[in-house]
Amino acid sequence: MAVVLTSKRYRVEDATDAVEFCFQQGWTDGLPVVPPTPDRVSAMLGAARLDPKQQIAFITHRSVSVTAEKIAVNAVMAGCKPGYMPVVVAAVEGIGDPAWSYHGPGTSTGGAAVLVIVNGPIAKELEINAGDNLFGPGWRANLTIGRALRLVMRNVCGSLPGLLDRGTLGHPGKLSYVIAENEGESPWTPLHVERGFRPEQSTVTVMAAESPHQFYNQLSPDAEGVLTTLADAMQRSGGAGRQPQYVVTLAGEHMRTIAGSGWGKKEIRQFLFDHTQNSHAHLKRTNRIPGAVQPGDDTKLRPLVASPDDILVVAAGGRAGAFSAFIPGWGGARSSQATTKEVRR
Amino acid sequence: MIEILDPTVEAATQPIAYVDRPGSLAGKRIGLIENTKFNSDKLLQRIGEILKTEYGASETRMFRKHNSSVPAHEEIIQEVRKTCDVIVAGVGD
Repeated sequence: MAVVLTSKRYRVEDATDAVEFCFQQGWTDGLPVVPPTPDRVSAMLGAARLDPKQQIAFITHRSVSVTAEKIAVNAVMAGCKPGYMPVVVAAVEGIGDPAWSYHGPGTSTGGAAVLVIVNGPIAKELEINAGDNLFGPGWRANLTIGRALRLVMRNVCGSLPGLLDRGTLGHPGKLSYVIAENEGESPWTPLHVERGFRPEQSTVTVMAAESPHQFYNQLSPDAEGVLTTLADAMQRSGGAGRQPQYVVTLAGEHMRTIAGSGWGKKEIRQFLFDHTQNSHAHLKRTNRIPGAVQPGDDTKLRPLVASPDDILVVAAGGRAGAFSAFIPGWGGARSSQATTKEVRR
Repeated sequence: MIEILDPTVEAATQPIAYVDRPGSLAGKRIGLIENTKFNSDKLLQRIGEILKTEYGASETRMFRKHNSSVPAHEEIIQEVRKTCDVIVAGVGD
């Protein structure tokens, strides 16, 4: 049965003209796009076995229905292979979840990107990078899946820079910000299993996020040493005082060192929760929270996150090098929460 | 020639019934929708005072949203309906 596509159609001379036409229409992120021809869009929908009219998300505050067809058009433009479409769809479901609360992170001066973490067998199948150069270029799936998501936000949800995307600074992750967990080498429970899915399911976790913050520890032979460095860097970071969620990505060397001490993700979260708290006095003196310093504020502690579970620990990054990273979430966890959706095929 | 598809979408049109703006604020009850951002309560308080002293509004009441990135919740809307004629709302950084 032929797929009926209802998007408005434009005729242009050839593929080169189509690329320029898309720039002129204001449909791109500043880079050239693949022309979204009906054949390519149909192939994208076919790979996810979706009806073009099917609603994947509804952005309540903007009364926008995000259909499979519009996701497919933007995924083609982003350069996705058809096989990536189910991952893009799951990511759109994630940002459409009321807990993610689109209007805040999609608009805010805080300039959040959408960090996308892929778990389960699909990561390997699609060659979604979980290793060297984790946040950098080099992998089509990582670069185009995140780009497709941002194009959907721009072209469908209305998050146009300077209009309904008012990020003061933004960051490069707003072009694409996709990683996979290194489940093949990780000794720990994968993120999606911790969040209630089975190991053989594939999932996408989305968090409204700042840029990655790298830290360095080449000296410590054990978990406590490595995590002491991390906790010190996190303590005064990003949302100190606002209690956002955080993602921590532990790369090969640190992963092995920490696991060598017998620590799992639960112990990592608890250690970071305990060692990243700030005194009210410090938060006030450094203008993170309002008010004059009161007696007792020096010993009154405010945790960096509301709960240890607000630190999402992911094994990812290259095998070599004593570097790992933490990523502060946008705003506070009350305003937007990471969501996890199954990739359906 | 090749054909390409439009990646954009218009927001679904929905009828919104706007109440007529009052010709004067004299005797009107003012609702102030506080969005939880730092100092927003003080700013709105000041606006409320100006609306009373300079424009003759009869009273002001402040309502606090759950947080700044969500719309006013249902309880606020129901209360405003019963107790206010005019509201002041906004987002600021």
